Amino acid sequence: MNQMNWVPLHREPPQPPPSSVSFTGNRGDFIRLVMRGAALELVTAGFYRFWLATDIRRHLWSNTLIDGDTAEYTGRGKELLIGFLFAMAILVPIYLAYFLVSVEAERFKGFASFPLILAFYAFGQFAIYRARRYRLTRTVWRGVRFWMDGSGWAYAWRAVLWGFLVILTLGFALPWREAALERYKMRHSWYGDLQGSFEGRGLEFFKRAWWLWLAVPFAIVLFPLFPFVYAQFKAIEWRWWLSGIRFAAVRVESKLPRAALIGLYWKVIGWYALACIAVGIYFAVCAGIVAALHGGFQQGAQPELLKNIPMLVLMIIGYLGLILSLNVVLRVYLLRDVWVAVLESVQVHDIGAAANVTAKGELATALGEGFADGLDVAGF
Amino acid sequence: MSISEDGALHRDHPPTVFFDGASSRRRIVRLVFADTLEISETDAASVCWVYDDIREADSPPGMLRVSCLSAPVLARLEVRDTALAAELRSRCARLGENRIDGRAIAKIVGWSLAAVVSIVMVVLFAIPFAADRLAPLVPEALEKRLGDASDVQIKAIFGSGVCTNAAGQAAYAKLLNELRRTAGLDTAVQSAVVSTKVPNAFALPGGKVYLFSALLEKARNPDEIAGVLAHELGHLKHRDNMRGLIYNGGTSFLIGLLFGDVTGSGALIFASRSLVTASHSREAEENADSFAIEVMHKLGRSPKPMGELLFRVTGKEGDSSLTLMASHPLTEDRLKRMSAEDRPPSGPPLLTDKEWAALKAICDEPAKK
Repeated sequence: MNQMNWVPLHREPPQPPPSSVSFTGNRGDFIRLVMRGAALELVTAGFYRFWLATDIRRHLWSNTLIDGDTAEYTGRGKELLIGFLFAMAILVPIYLAYFLVSVEAERFKGFASFPLILAFYAFGQFAIYRARRYRLTRTVWRGVRFWMDGSGWAYAWRAVLWGFLVILTLGFALPWREAALERYKMRHSWYGDLQGSFEGRGLEFFKRAWWLWLAVPFAIVLFPLFPFVYAQFKAIEWRWWLSGIRFAAVRVESKLPRAALIGLYWKVIGWYALACIAVGIYFAVCAGIVAALHGGFQQGAQPELLKNIPMLVLMIIGYLGLILSLNVVLRVYLLRDVWVAVLESVQVHDIGAAANVTAKGELATALGEGFADGLDVAGF
Repeated sequence: MSISEDGALHRDHPPTVFFDGASSRRRIVRLVFADTLEISETDAASVCWVYDDIREADSPPGMLRVSCLSAPVLARLEVRDTALAAELRSRCARLGENRIDGRAIAKIVGWSLAAVVSIVMVVLFAIPFAADRLAPLVPEALEKRLGDASDVQIKAIFGSGVCTNAAGQAAYAKLLNELRRTAGLDTAVQSAVVSTKVPNAFALPGGKVYLFSALLEKARNPDEIAGVLAHELGHLKHRDNMRGLIYNGGTSFLIGLLFGDVTGSGALIFASRSLVTASHSREAEENADSFAIEVMHKLGRSPKPMGELLFRVTGKEGDSSLTLMASHPLTEDRLKRMSAEDRPPSGPPLLTDKEWAALKAICDEPAKK
């Protein structure tokens, strides 16, 4: 950072140019971080996930430079662990109650317990809202935190009702659902005393993405097309979402090209294929060695090979290696690289409105993150 | 002691920026290293931070960002000048205390392994114990409801293919009642033959036993079927459904706690869950076999025909499946066990030849509701 950049900005020229957003992080550092994290996740039977998620966010946040100042993530792995344990303590009785209610429903009529899944869907949406609140209250920029009010349940019911509409219209209503839900989330998001809002319109999203909606049936038949369709949908969604974000007078704009993410998705597919081929070769070599050591099996020896303990151990090692590499590939391309591509497309207008914001807002607990983990839902 | 006392120096060094945690205003400040760290802004009173309270916060490369325990939580000082950052570092002895270092990670790993060991112990010892003790405590009404619920599902899956040939039903009822009385079960036991191509038989919680017609077709004498039914009555007597439910629910939940969102770990979770539930289920099957042997002996019949029927259905299993994953003991082992218990018949045949023929023909009528 050169000091000369600061002086003119600080004197606030009458028409400030939009400020850009950039990412200062080193890709190698991130790869090392996720490789180490994936290995620790295996060693700890997955318990390290809370600290790995935290480390990833800390890296991404603290390297995100907005108008000359980087953000900071102040959440900690321990908070996520405690949130998860609390969520489990609440979910267990709910699961039991669910079980008993579904027994009653099934007795009444076969498979009548299906509507109960709806309650879990609503609960998942609640978790998404609360998890977002946790992450936002851990996001700090210029010594002031972001925060959220509003109600997770109010959000969940909106999500459920809009979800119905999306199903009834075979996905046609999706843009309007996203716009309505974003409006709710952003209306209740704050940066200090600056209130957020969302100006993206469902129609706008629809105009840009309707042809993808038509392409989906073709992509399902001709499945190599699917990554193209999905990557373009994600790029359009990102651009539309970012361009709708407001904090009082501060406006965000994104010029993410439609094709920006296609390469990343194909790279993930390529690495997945490579990893699977590598593991396949490894299995074949292991099988060969084990067979040779045993003086060779007779024909059709597959079952005997499957019962061979050293072979099983070698297969488990190969499988674990595959999981490790897939997790690294996923996080590098679909988390870090997408993050960077998206950030670099962003411009912020009238950032001057955020130059003297009063700090406000309380920290939220990580319970929502715990529910999201326990219910296996993810959202933004 | 300050590095940037001279205004001219300012221009050669990147500025030091201070956020006071109360507002987002970016303050260009000068640092003075006195007894405490003095952070002074032109035209404002300086802020003093005690060196021992200063902690490092996350920052991008090329910047030192610190916070202070005795200042507002989000107050941040950002030092971009390398020399100044080095100077600050050398004075703050406890700067890195918040960092997650090797020791902290070792602690996380240690506690996680302790948690894994505890989960494995609970799965291996505590849950089977709890299932054994809790299953008899489950009210019969609830168990019956569970059975009714799965009964409705089974009827939905297999249609209403309950075989209703009158003579066959009479023979079946005779056989079942004989077994039921010997097994010491009350009249709550209900049973039917269902017409399907799957050779199997099973018991539902609350006292329902189903025999599939394909198994009946493969049977050569009443003792074969009697042994199978006695085995299913053994499950009812031991309340294996409830035990299995508690056991499977508990282990699934505990194993699900591990590897939450690790992509691709599904097979790992599935395999470990199958492994433990299979061992539990094998034990229950062995107990049901013991029960069947006991009932057949009481009736003065040999349990060996049951083993022969099973062997006819499955063939030799030892070659084709991973024995650790099997939910039942290997058929050849069951046959061996029942052959060892073989005794010459001392009681009367369970069904007459005519009744046996009627039972074999129980599904010959078109199935009705």
